[in-house]
Amino acid sequence: MEEPLGLASPGDTYSLRPAFRHRFRSSIVKECIHAILKENLANVQYNPEETPQLTRSLSDAIKDRLKEEGFHRYKMVVQVVIGEQRGEGVNMAARCFWDADTDNYAQDVFMNDSLFCVVAAFGCFYY
Amino acid sequence: MDTEKRRTKEDTWKSDELKKHLRVSQSDSQSEDKKQKEKKLQRDRETQDMVDYKGYVHKDQDKDRGEAKERKGERERFKSSERDRDKLRERERGKDHREREREKFKEKIQEKDAEKAKHITRKDKEKGSEKEKDRKYRRDDQKQMLKQNNLRTHGEKDKEQHRRRESKDQLEQANVRDEVKERRHTERKAKEGKKSERKNSVGEFLTMKDEGSGHRHKSHRDQELNKDRERSQRDKREHQHLVRAGKERPSKQRSHELFVKDGEEKCVSRRPKEGFSTEDRERQKRENNEKRQREENERKKRDLKNSEHNKQGKSLREEETSHQYERSATDKRKSNEAEKKADTRQRQNPGDHVSTGKPMQRQKSEEELEIIDNYLTNYEDDFEDYEDDFDDDEEDNDNEDRDSEEKLREIPISKKSEIEEIQRAINAENERINIMPPKKMQKEHEKEPKMERQDSPARGSLCRMFMDFEAANQRQTNRNMASIQKKRSSELLRLIDLDFSVSFSLLDLPPVNEYDMYIRNFGKTNTKQAYVQCNEDNLERDVQTDEIETLEKWTQHPGDSVLVSGGPRRSNDVSIDVAVTPRIDSQRLTNFLRSACQVIAVLLEEDRGATQPRWNLRSRQTSLSISDSCFQLNTNLLFLHGRKVFCLHVSQVQRQALLSVHGLPEKPSVIQLDRKYIICVWNVWQPSSPQKVLVCEAEVTCCCFSPSKATLVFAGTMDGSLVVWDLREDSRMHLCMKLNETDWIFRAPTFSTDGVLSSLNHSCPVVAIESISTSIYKKQNYELSHLSSQEEMSGLSFQIASMDENGTLNLWVAVELQKVDLAGSQSDLGLIPGGKVKLVHSSTLQLNNSLFPKAILCLTTPQTLNIKFLPSNPNHFIVGTDVGVVSHGTRHDLRVLPKLFKPQQGGPRSVRANAVDFSPLGKPIFLVGCSDGSIRLHQMTSEHPLIQWNDSTNGQPVIALQWALTRPAVFFVLDASSSVYIWDLLENDLCPVAKQIIQSDKVMTMVVLGEPEKTNGLLGIALAKQSGIIDIQYVKKKWALPQSEESEKLQLLLQQFL
Repeated sequence: MEEPLGLASPGDTYSLRPAFRHRFRSSIVKECIHAILKENLANVQYNPEETPQLTRSLSDAIKDRLKEEGFHRYKMVVQVVIGEQRGEGVNMAARCFWDADTDNYAQDVFMNDSLFCVVAAFGCFYY
Repeated sequence: MDTEKRRTKEDTWKSDELKKHLRVSQSDSQSEDKKQKEKKLQRDRETQDMVDYKGYVHKDQDKDRGEAKERKGERERFKSSERDRDKLRERERGKDHREREREKFKEKIQEKDAEKAKHITRKDKEKGSEKEKDRKYRRDDQKQMLKQNNLRTHGEKDKEQHRRRESKDQLEQANVRDEVKERRHTERKAKEGKKSERKNSVGEFLTMKDEGSGHRHKSHRDQELNKDRERSQRDKREHQHLVRAGKERPSKQRSHELFVKDGEEKCVSRRPKEGFSTEDRERQKRENNEKRQREENERKKRDLKNSEHNKQGKSLREEETSHQYERSATDKRKSNEAEKKADTRQRQNPGDHVSTGKPMQRQKSEEELEIIDNYLTNYEDDFEDYEDDFDDDEEDNDNEDRDSEEKLREIPISKKSEIEEIQRAINAENERINIMPPKKMQKEHEKEPKMERQDSPARGSLCRMFMDFEAANQRQTNRNMASIQKKRSSELLRLIDLDFSVSFSLLDLPPVNEYDMYIRNFGKTNTKQAYVQCNEDNLERDVQTDEIETLEKWTQHPGDSVLVSGGPRRSNDVSIDVAVTPRIDSQRLTNFLRSACQVIAVLLEEDRGATQPRWNLRSRQTSLSISDSCFQLNTNLLFLHGRKVFCLHVSQVQRQALLSVHGLPEKPSVIQLDRKYIICVWNVWQPSSPQKVLVCEAEVTCCCFSPSKATLVFAGTMDGSLVVWDLREDSRMHLCMKLNETDWIFRAPTFSTDGVLSSLNHSCPVVAIESISTSIYKKQNYELSHLSSQEEMSGLSFQIASMDENGTLNLWVAVELQKVDLAGSQSDLGLIPGGKVKLVHSSTLQLNNSLFPKAILCLTTPQTLNIKFLPSNPNHFIVGTDVGVVSHGTRHDLRVLPKLFKPQQGGPRSVRANAVDFSPLGKPIFLVGCSDGSIRLHQMTSEHPLIQWNDSTNGQPVIALQWALTRPAVFFVLDASSSVYIWDLLENDLCPVAKQIIQSDKVMTMVVLGEPEKTNGLLGIALAKQSGIIDIQYVKKKWALPQSEESEKLQLLLQQFL
């Protein structure tokens, strides 16, 4: 939250819409997430001690990857949830208060025998 | 830009302070306004002394001064305390002056006084770029002054009150003095303009002898003492109110010190100029010395104090030095020096007893004014920035860093080592603070402002000042950022709309059911699950079941068109193969088949008979003289072995249909049928086997076909019941037995009255059963009924009459049921399950009561033996009895004549009328054959017979008697000795024309076969023999072929008999 201070002097003009090529496109983001999850979780067994670290590293990895995608002026929020597969039902939902024209989200789920991993990446445009 | 950070608190503080101050100053000014008004009055009074006060500016200064002197002189008479006050007042005057000047300044600003503006601009120009810093300094200064003022104002008020009490005049004088000074000042400004301040100050310095110099000289010691006292008091006070006064106080001290250093030199340098000074000089010298000594002492004391309150002093000094340092520019320094000098001079005044000469005085006063002017200008500058000045504290802090650096350079004189020590301590503390967690710091920051004010005597908060600085910076930046952000958001939110999105479902993982869980866990334990499945799911596994063959077909019901069904021949055959079903009237077909089958069967049988001589039955029977040919019905069947034939019956419509009633076998052969009586239905053209075989539990005494069509067989039994067989019934309903490689169907009765209609049923053996054909009757009365044809079509519009031995005649109606109940009927208990025909009782006639006359009845109850219905009118019937008479009756119990048909001679006698038979050709005549061997020919109209033949059979009882069907005048008679007689009335009306004795076997009964509609001359007699053989003899053509006009001849003959 600190970084953009330099950008915004009071007299600045604001760009209210991202350029089309810089737009947060959920399909691309989803692919990124999917690739990273597949790479990192392919044969991982659920381990309650390692999971916190794993989620952190995953979210960082995804965030860094998304930054490379060049969504200019977008703030990324990446949420990673890993849970153990024990047959219980799980339901996750999200709701956002945002500008629907610019902001978007992408979501992907990875599952194997022992765990499930839900990643939601939200992109908020910084005007 | 830390200024904003603490603005609120300090602002309020300052503004409070300011307000107070302003209030005070206002009250001052107000009071002074009053004073001025008073002054005006006084001035008017004084104008006597002072000529033209207004015009009096420079030239009359002497006078003024003189007056002042006089006033001073007057004043000196007052107490020393007052002098103290004066001194104070003098100082305060400066302040009051300043305040007044401030007000003035405001006014001036408002008035846009050109000179003033110029002056200011000049000043601004002089100060140049350093102005800002300067201003800061001044602000500090001013603040200090304000604080001081605040302190003093309290005292002042008291003093003023006191003063007022003392004397109005004095006050007024003092005020006048102030007023004068003011005026002079303004005037001088206008006058002197750009005159170098330095020069003025220096030049006028020597002359700077105050009005009060006189009294000062005199009461110098007192003043000194007072001063000291005052100072110590002030110190104390300042200690108490350090927060406010602390900053100001040392600066005073400082300036005092500086003055001590500078001032002495100056004093020395001035002395030569002051050479012409009066006798006071010596005193002055002495006093100066004293003063110097005293000041040195003071300084020492102060140093001690400083060392005691190390930090405090330091910081204060730092401030001072920094202020000095900031004025590095030469101009600045000059002005500063001038200022300082002015400052010092003012304070020095009591000690500076240089000269009291008039020119000097004048100069001095001028100079004093100049100094005041200096102050003023400074304050004017200050005033400019006044509104921005509320946040000085932070700047202090800002400056502190620099100060600490510059400290050494600036104050080399003061104890370096001490400073260094302190610095070290500070640095150490700073380091410690840096290490401290930010949170703590933050807390301390928050406390800071209060602590500064409250605990400043201890000055331990200096270290916190550093913390405060960093955190303050941080907070300041934060606040700035926040404000920027806020602005951004407020601007942006106008442009964009935020809304709640739909809630996204990130994950919906349904709970795993138990089976899957089991499989998941179980599947891991080295086992495999095998699939069993049909083709339907068609997963990738191998299908273990065979493929299901399918073929599509279609049908339509009802099949109206030619296309009724169809479909591809094979599942992969796309083309539609339509099965073309010809339209069939199944009923017609059935009828056709039925008749055709019979024809074919007959043809086949004839063909077989021709080819196989063994079956040629006709040849065997050629022995009889009366017959051309004969054949046997094949009774050589397993189930017919050993059964006698009791009765034969031929259908009146279908002449080829023959019923034969077979009795119980003498020796058991087939177990299941041993106890049953059998009726065989024959087709005489198909003699090889009976058409149907009917079985009955009871002994059948008589039987008959249904009248219109030979589809039903009725039979009466010994036990009085009637039995019906429906020959159309499906063979599967009945017992089927395989005998000699041939399937035989033994049909059980369709309906039996046995035990069902007990009240109506016959209670004794049924002797005769006759079907009453309405069709025949309708034919006779053709014109009557149109409905008859419909009834005929149903085939069941007929009645059955059954008569038992006791003369009870029952009439039944055969009813065909529309619905077939395979489970058996609940209401019709005599009906076989699945049967369609039942008998409904219609009426009962007791023939004995109605038919026979009392003469006969009184003897015995006659036994009825047989019954025949008049073919032309079925309502009339004749009943044969065992009393030799034949009674005549009708169905509707009408009285008819003749009642009885009696033999020719004698009354009732025990003669059984064994056989009666109506002429088939429509003539109302009938034959009666009696057990005594007599044969009577009766006509319906007469009681007595037309003719009677008594001995034609040699006394043998007549068993059967029947008219020939093809010839009206021929009839056949069978007697008990198995002789068959043929009568031809046209040929011989006295005796039979032919007699054939059948000796080989006893003939049980005889029936005549023939087809009267055809003229092929076939007339046969069926003879049932005791052995069970049924012979059919075709009589010779001469008796069989009808001759011309036979009926008329017979009619003539009959008339002859009458």
